[in-house]
Amino acid sequence: MCPRIVRSLPAAIVAFVLAQPAFAHEQAGVAGGLVSGLLHPATGIDHLIAMVAVGIWGAQLGAPAIWVLPITFPLVMAVGGVLGIMRVPLPMPEVAIALSALILGVAVASRLRLPFAAAAAIVAVFAIFHGHAHGAELPGSANPLAYGVGFVTATGLLHLCGIAIGTLTRWPAGERIIQGLGAGIAGLGCYFLAQGLGAIA
Amino acid sequence: MTSNFRCGLISAAMLLIHANAAEAHIVAARLGDFYTGALHPLTDVQDIVLWIAMGVLAGSLGSTKGRWLILVFPLGLLAGSALGHRFGVASTGLADAAMMLALGLMLAAAARIPTSLLCPLAFGLAVIRGAANGVDLGPETDRLLFATGLVCMGYVVMTLTMALTLAFRSTAPDGSASWRTIAIRALGGWIAAIGLMMAGLVLAS
Amino acid sequence: MTAIRYLRLALLLFAMIVLPSALSAHEAAMGVLEFREVRPGAFIGRWTMEPSIGAARVDLRVPSHCLLRLPEMNCGQKGLVGSITIGNLGSNMSVVLIKVIPITGEPRSYTISTANPVVSILGTGAPTLEAWIELAKVYVNYGIDHILLGADHLLFVLGLIWIVGGGWRLVKTITAFTIGHSASLAAAAFGLIGVPERPLNACIALSIAFVGVEIVKQQRGETGLTARHPWAVAFTFGLVHGIGFAGALAGLGLERRLLPAALLFFNVGVEIGQLAFVLLVLALIWAHRRLDAALPRWGEALPAYVIGSVSMFWFFGRIARVFAAI
Repeated sequence: MCPRIVRSLPAAIVAFVLAQPAFAHEQAGVAGGLVSGLLHPATGIDHLIAMVAVGIWGAQLGAPAIWVLPITFPLVMAVGGVLGIMRVPLPMPEVAIALSALILGVAVASRLRLPFAAAAAIVAVFAIFHGHAHGAELPGSANPLAYGVGFVTATGLLHLCGIAIGTLTRWPAGERIIQGLGAGIAGLGCYFLAQGLGAIA
Repeated sequence: MTSNFRCGLISAAMLLIHANAAEAHIVAARLGDFYTGALHPLTDVQDIVLWIAMGVLAGSLGSTKGRWLILVFPLGLLAGSALGHRFGVASTGLADAAMMLALGLMLAAAARIPTSLLCPLAFGLAVIRGAANGVDLGPETDRLLFATGLVCMGYVVMTLTMALTLAFRSTAPDGSASWRTIAIRALGGWIAAIGLMMAGLVLAS
Repeated sequence: MTAIRYLRLALLLFAMIVLPSALSAHEAAMGVLEFREVRPGAFIGRWTMEPSIGAARVDLRVPSHCLLRLPEMNCGQKGLVGSITIGNLGSNMSVVLIKVIPITGEPRSYTISTANPVVSILGTGAPTLEAWIELAKVYVNYGIDHILLGADHLLFVLGLIWIVGGGWRLVKTITAFTIGHSASLAAAAFGLIGVPERPLNACIALSIAFVGVEIVKQQRGETGLTARHPWAVAFTFGLVHGIGFAGALAGLGLERRLLPAALLFFNVGVEIGQLAFVLLVLALIWAHRRLDAALPRWGEALPAYVIGSVSMFWFFGRIARVFAAI
């Protein structure tokens, strides 16, 4: 038996009764889904810093990466999202996400210049893990489509943030700031990694 | 596990359907069926995403190709609402998701689609959405007025979206891969991503 | 031959007379509720005309300090002040008239309709700020609804835009139209001028036909009156349309002392709706230019003829109603 059915029954009845006169309700469904989707990447600091780091690194790598990234990243992430929706388990998702923040942070801090294909492969693997975490939440939201729109938009905007920060590389002082940011991201990644491995409660 | 989220899905769908009907009712009571038809697609995320994707795609292909859609898209909506009324509509969830994915990919790849493909694509999309929009109408709704409103809104949204895309894209002095073109292609990537996840959701449930 | 033609004409006239009456039969879905004050703050409520869905099914909501148990309503010290609304307005019950008969002072009536679902009752004292806000909300919305549903007014504005084009000339023309309809709306609402509604509506339809003719003239290279003096034409026809707007306010049973404010808010609503429409049309014109999507040469006169035909259709329908009333 599904205990959720029993639990969601009162909610469904309330929704049924309230929806008749209340016009705000459907808005709440769409807006609720949208807002929860928009905020989902922002609520987990590990997601947030990794996305910004992807943007910065793309900007550092320059020409092909800076424009391939915003176009293909959401798609690869959506593949991970589908895996999440279908409940295909991935090994140690928490650790992988923390690791992504750590590695991307290090890459930004050390201005690591990998060949484009290698960089793309690294980012793609992490994109799948991030998408998986979001996708797992998707079916439970009030309006899955609105949730999807919200979280894809939020991710895109975070990249944009990162790319905007990354344009600071044109100035020498900006370069220092970015490396500092990268180091900070790597540090936070370390912290989350330790947490994920159970070293810190 | 699966039954768990099926429960969630059912309650979400229930909430959505009832609230949808309630909202349509309020607009109808206030401004009549024409405006219900016009505003109905704007209350639905499917319509907003798909219409904008279609308009941006057509606009990014240039005015000589895009301007056909000023006529084709509203006519498709009209045909869709007539067909939907006559034959009824099964769930359009998978078709919507596939359409979203296809449009997004074409936009992301900056594919040079010929007019002979663009028009049928737009017409097909309009038929699907036109049919889906008239599904939850009560018997007291004037279907002709509703369809007129829907068609007008389709014309307005499509024309404005295409023109805005064109204006946004073509202000770049050089025709090369400027950031504006990239922005439009990135939008395509986002739309394709949403479509992919929706397809996954529909197939999973 | 001629006999058949006469038969056709007769059939058409018959249809035109029957159609409006069939439409007005639909409007019987209204109710009248009377509240008579028996002690200060205590009322006896009674349906003098039951709505077709039955009095028991009306979801009447009174201010929270009032205790409603029909036929009694007790509002205590504060009296009947605040907003009254009906939860289940719809196509089967679109209008409810509420009459309040106080012990002292004259009786007042309020109309709850789908366009105006909340009425605020101000009591006998000076209106509070809250009451003003309530009034503004109701009448601004009512004005917006009225213009958005008035296809004839919108079509006239569309014709004006078509002739004048964009830029300063359009701003002046629309301003002239606004001044014209505001002036006559005020005059009609205060009872300074009274024009029977049906002939007036026919006149409004004719004004649109006039604009249609002017568009055709302009396309043939002639300079019509509208092209030369657009603001004069807009002002004159604005006067006619304004009296038409007043007809919408007349049926509401408004309190005399609130009339100026209500009129102002209603007019603001009309302007908001009109401005939105003008901006939408201008945006669409811009979009068509951007897309190089002009009408083909042979179809250039089409919009003018559509405007003209629709307005003449309205004109004949409305003239038929004038004669039907006699």
